[in-house]
Amino acid sequence: MACDDVPVKTPRCDCCSGPAVFHDKKTARHLCREHFIADIEERVAETIRSRHLIVPGDHVVIALSGGKDSTALLMILARLLPSWDSVRLSAVTIDEGIAGYREDTIHSADQLVARYGMDHTSIPFTDLFGGTLDAFLKGREAEACSVCGILRRKALNVAAERAGATKLATGHNLDDEAQSVFMNVLRGDLPRLVRDSGSDSKGRFTPRIKPLMFVSEKEIAVYLMLHGAWADLPECPYAVHALRGEVRSMLATLESKHPGTMLHLMESKTRIEAQCAGRLDEEPVRHCRECGDPCSGETCQLCTLKKTLSQ
Amino acid sequence: MKIILPDKTSRETKAGPVTVEALVRDLGFDPIEVIVARNGTLVTEDAVVENTDEVRIIRIAHGG
Repeated sequence: MACDDVPVKTPRCDCCSGPAVFHDKKTARHLCREHFIADIEERVAETIRSRHLIVPGDHVVIALSGGKDSTALLMILARLLPSWDSVRLSAVTIDEGIAGYREDTIHSADQLVARYGMDHTSIPFTDLFGGTLDAFLKGREAEACSVCGILRRKALNVAAERAGATKLATGHNLDDEAQSVFMNVLRGDLPRLVRDSGSDSKGRFTPRIKPLMFVSEKEIAVYLMLHGAWADLPECPYAVHALRGEVRSMLATLESKHPGTMLHLMESKTRIEAQCAGRLDEEPVRHCRECGDPCSGETCQLCTLKKTLSQ
Repeated sequence: MKIILPDKTSRETKAGPVTVEALVRDLGFDPIEVIVARNGTLVTEDAVVENTDEVRIIRIAHGG
């Protein structure tokens, strides 16, 4: 775009003086479309490199809901991976059965994988658990996120195993991760605070990776908008019941007033992890007496949940 | 200035010239939870919108 076309009241990119589309309040940087996209992709690549999230020979399965985060994740990984050795990408979608919500995102996921020509499988809750999330949650909507979390975790583990994945990539972003840190602090749950889903798998499950963990929700929205890939999708109808909703609202206010709050929370987590390394008692690995899956107690969360779902 | 809100309704205002951030806050949104397009192009919170502009406010849906 020619600079003459730009109104004078448009802030300029710090790298090229083109029209800025994003202002990072923490660093005070303004970035134009091209430099913003390059910055996001380089930061994701750096997260992957520095944390060894993906290595040559990996088959990375993307947990693709079709919402904004997993859509951006797929687009960025598809852009980055051709430059890496022998890494394969595919996608899996879990259909929880949430009326008025999931249909739209699944349609969006189908269109995306078709555009990229990517292998894609879809697994409905009904196939794995005999019913939809909507049916399971009748009368217990307040527990939606914990019930869905347990069922989705199992569904994704099954999907990753079926696909022969070596890594399962999820679209968790900086906001999600900062919220989790804060929630674990609020709950006083130190083991969960320092637990890393990738290193925690210890060969029991396909390791999970979160390449977008340092990209904010707003940056993801801008990235999609700049690619013409923004879809005005509905929010999960159960989100209003979650503690996460309150924490999200609180952190958004703090981030707005004090830019960098979410990154600082992540830095706190990293420091606590370093301090705790090797000091926390490791939970012994047991196997669920009902399904045989690895777990920390006598019965896994899924089998415990299933008993209450059938009541 | 024509403002298109996240629910697709629109309204006219003579609030300009004003920064995007001030406009968004005046409309009751937190700037961190929305992105704004001026005449079809994304702009930053410190950009200025005029009364002749069309301003679209897009709420960032959570999850996904």
